[in-house]
Amino acid sequence: MMTKVTLRNLTAHKLRLALTALSVVLGVAMVAGTFIFTDSMSKQFDDLFAGIGKNVAVDVRAKQAVQSGSDEQVSSRPPVPAALADELRKVEGVKDVVGNVGGYAAVIGKNGKTVATLGPPQMGMNWVNGGDYDIQSGRAPQGPSEVAIDEATMKKAGYGLGDRARILLQGPTQTMTVVGVIKTGNMMGATVTAFDTATAQRLLLKPGYFNDIQLVSSGVGETVLRDRVARTLPGDVEAITGSALRDELKDDIQQLLSFLQVLLLVFGLIAVFVGAFIIFNTFSMLVAQRTRELALLRAIGASRRQVTRAVMGEALGVGIVGSTIGLLAGVGLAAGLQALMSDGSEGSTGLTFTVTPVIWSYAVGVTITLISAYFPSRRAAKIAPVAAMRDDVALPQRSLRRRAGIGSALTVLGAGLVVAGIADAGPEPLLLLGIGVGMVFIGVAVLAPILSKPVIRVLGGVFPRLFGTPGRLARENALRNPRRTAATASALMIGLALVSAINVVNSSAVASIGRSVDRQFGADYMIISETQGGFSPDAIKAVGQAPGVDQATAMYVGNINVNGKRASVLSGDMAGITEGAKLKMLSGSTDLGADGLLVDEDTAKSNDYKVGSTLPAQFTDGARQQLRVAGIYEKNDVIGSRLLSEQAYLAHTAKPLAFMGMVQVATPGTASKQAVEGALRDYPNLQVQDRSEVKESFQKQLDQVVVFFTILLAMSIIIAAVGVINTLALSVVERTREIGLLRAVGVSRRQLRRMIRLESVVIAVFGALLGIGIGVALGAAVQNGLADQGLDILKIPVVTLVVYVVLGGVIGMLAALWPAWRAGRMDVLKAIATE
Amino acid sequence: MKNTAPTSAEGLEQPGAGPLAAQVREISKIYGTGDAEVIALDHVTVGIPKSRFTAIMGPSGSGKSTLMHCMAGLDSIDSGQVFLGDVELSRLDDKRLTRLRRDKVGFVFQAFNLVPTLTALENITLPMDIAGRKPDTNWLDHVIDTVGLRPRLKHRPSELSGGQQQRVACARALAGRPEIIFADEPTGNLDSRSGAEILSFLRNSVQEMGQTIVMVTHDPAAAAYSDEVLFLTDGRIVDQMVEPTAEKVLERMKGFDLPGVTAS
Repeated sequence: MMTKVTLRNLTAHKLRLALTALSVVLGVAMVAGTFIFTDSMSKQFDDLFAGIGKNVAVDVRAKQAVQSGSDEQVSSRPPVPAALADELRKVEGVKDVVGNVGGYAAVIGKNGKTVATLGPPQMGMNWVNGGDYDIQSGRAPQGPSEVAIDEATMKKAGYGLGDRARILLQGPTQTMTVVGVIKTGNMMGATVTAFDTATAQRLLLKPGYFNDIQLVSSGVGETVLRDRVARTLPGDVEAITGSALRDELKDDIQQLLSFLQVLLLVFGLIAVFVGAFIIFNTFSMLVAQRTRELALLRAIGASRRQVTRAVMGEALGVGIVGSTIGLLAGVGLAAGLQALMSDGSEGSTGLTFTVTPVIWSYAVGVTITLISAYFPSRRAAKIAPVAAMRDDVALPQRSLRRRAGIGSALTVLGAGLVVAGIADAGPEPLLLLGIGVGMVFIGVAVLAPILSKPVIRVLGGVFPRLFGTPGRLARENALRNPRRTAATASALMIGLALVSAINVVNSSAVASIGRSVDRQFGADYMIISETQGGFSPDAIKAVGQAPGVDQATAMYVGNINVNGKRASVLSGDMAGITEGAKLKMLSGSTDLGADGLLVDEDTAKSNDYKVGSTLPAQFTDGARQQLRVAGIYEKNDVIGSRLLSEQAYLAHTAKPLAFMGMVQVATPGTASKQAVEGALRDYPNLQVQDRSEVKESFQKQLDQVVVFFTILLAMSIIIAAVGVINTLALSVVERTREIGLLRAVGVSRRQLRRMIRLESVVIAVFGALLGIGIGVALGAAVQNGLADQGLDILKIPVVTLVVYVVLGGVIGMLAALWPAWRAGRMDVLKAIATE
Repeated sequence: MKNTAPTSAEGLEQPGAGPLAAQVREISKIYGTGDAEVIALDHVTVGIPKSRFTAIMGPSGSGKSTLMHCMAGLDSIDSGQVFLGDVELSRLDDKRLTRLRRDKVGFVFQAFNLVPTLTALENITLPMDIAGRKPDTNWLDHVIDTVGLRPRLKHRPSELSGGQQQRVACARALAGRPEIIFADEPTGNLDSRSGAEILSFLRNSVQEMGQTIVMVTHDPAAAAYSDEVLFLTDGRIVDQMVEPTAEKVLERMKGFDLPGVTAS
């Protein structure tokens, strides 16, 4: 019988429940979309790698002496001499030997723009007949000025066979003839440029060297061949099987994908969390509206448990429907993401479906709905049967004091976890931070009904004066049910809190970097690359020859092992660095010789280094050397913690690449800047920036990050807006009689709509203020926690935050459009008719 | 807002009655279609004299509420004409109807008369506030004192008894000095003592302030407070009675007590 009641209710309140389900749908769609998208990407990469190196039985390469950092794209393996290939050919069972050369090369299109996307690499390589790719048309490149380019890049660059194309390299740009089009399949934005082997070695690596050497077996099993080969190799070279090589490639991509998956998933779960508030609120309102009906059920003998179950049954229905639609919407979302990432070549479409998104969708959607509806259902069960007979019934409400206690406790506890998380405590500090933030949100949401009264009184204080009676009614309506107002506002709070926290951290970072640049950036110009992986120091040498340039210093970055632990070091000419980075020595000297190392004061202290200490070190080429601590400098944000002798760095690096150049000129100004730029004609990817441009470019980069996160949080804000619509629509239904009365005594439709809009605006602005309050606190906590890592200025972006408050109001206004329209159209008679 | 046919009203004036505050001519109202069709009003023609207390009576489903709603501009009609003063309502759009209700009509309903978020005083001045007009303070004081609400003006409806709430509703209806007040079962939810208070209050406002009131009721005792009773059955005016008493009305009602069609 109770099942029938549940089902009837579900069909009777279709529209209300549809809006509730929508809040489930949006969150679940993000979760499901994330899985479908990453699964599809993963499948495509698998397909891609299945073809790569499929004939390779054994791969021979240098051992990795120093682990490369996780964020570095350049392989830290040194190259192997080409002569080794001839040795390997002699090993029994080797049918063929192929030396590979790979490095950075990009195509500059006809329009002068480089064909490149952020993320996927621009790969240059030596052309190998019978290798991973085939020539689609034209022929393989031969000689020093021929190039073959992949199909998609050809199209984007606007080149045809026989055209002269400019090829961007880490060294000077080359102009070459396009002789072949490479068939690659979907590269997801990566580009492929191929030269003949000698040219590739010269442009991408080092003449006479390969990155690795691949062996094709004449029939011997790959492990057998590997062991045979290994016996002939020198100590710093290793052999792995082809399968192991392919797995390594896959692992790299899988790591990247799982990072992307976790990132997207976090934002999906935030959206689901916001949805929980909406579900909670809707069910609370539905229970309140049906108090009499539920009391009647109790009066005729339904047990409390049956009433709870009837409400939970409805929630289950909403959860299942919402999750199903969400799953379908997730497919659409994944398809959209894929279209966005696609490079337009064949095979870039097609989604992969596994059971994971299905399980996640239902697990997340149904669970969150049931949890959110649990409290309202409990409250429904507490309705006394006698309420059926009474006219005006109010649901039993908990005391405010208890609410204040629980809310404060949760907030304080959550804040504690946030602080601990930022301080890197425990094994999973980020998880700690996440849980803490979640608890703060719930805590503030619990407190929000108490806060709503004074805040809305103040916010709505001007309403009566500005908007007359509709304004006063709007304010009173927002105040009449603090719990409802608070739950609606809280949903909006979450998205805006995270957005404002990100903005606070961003503006603090911009301010901190700006101050570091002012204090420690002594160079007149900085030269940086728009492309990945550094650039040839020849560019800096060219700048050094330009008229008016006093000094041009190439800066290198690298990893070495010190005392067996990986450490990142900077290197370059000490005279240039001392001036360019305003290096201040505390002790020792900057005369580094062939084995000198400078450390900053913090590193010296924590490792107990003194001037004259010697440290055993190992370089990326495998060589070991004792380093001498030559001096200690004052903490410097431009340099970081370690400076290695340039001589030592160059001695152990096969193809040194600068990541930055610092330039001193005689007289800074437009003329000198133009002279520097003139010297870099062959390097269109290099930018010359003065101090303020350096700051600007940092700001631009950080702004991109903010935009990215804001887009990811947009879904949460949209869900919150749905929540406002839902609350208002239900309120309008609840106040049918009152609205009818207002209309009868002469309130016009327009006044009525204004009343509902204003109510919505005040609730939304309240939510925005709560969110921004939490966001500023969270942002300040992060800044404080990272103060010793360079984030030493707290700057609150007041204008941006004010914009968000206004945005909150606009969201409220838009969310009210439909409910207001409905209220305006309400039949006056139905509204006042007595049953 | 065209003043259409000033002459058309003349034929309707009943002998002996004064000028009319409202009148309906040949109005019909039908709900539903086909088998479900219900004729709520069947070519009704009636005039409401100024400064008089008119009661509309009839069994449940007789169309008495519908008649009042149509006269007050709350409901539309399918045919005929409705005049409030000399304004024909069927020619007005929603905006003008709203303004008319706000400025020229007062309402007292059976229940749910007050906006719960506003105080008693704010409820009383609500129509004027909406219009952006300043209330006439002398008149407002007079009305408040007459209904005896002065000590409760700052209270919200939930803090008032049912009788007090209806008195606030009456005060609201009177405060704007409307041309006509429509009361729909104003005592339906009250105990007899509170009901009697409200009815005498309405009666006095007709006698002392010259107010025009139309009241729908099914209670003969309530009808006895009026100057004139119109009897409605099956959507038609079937009788009228001047200077009614509860006994006379009850007697007459017995004759109409037929199984009525249920129109909401």
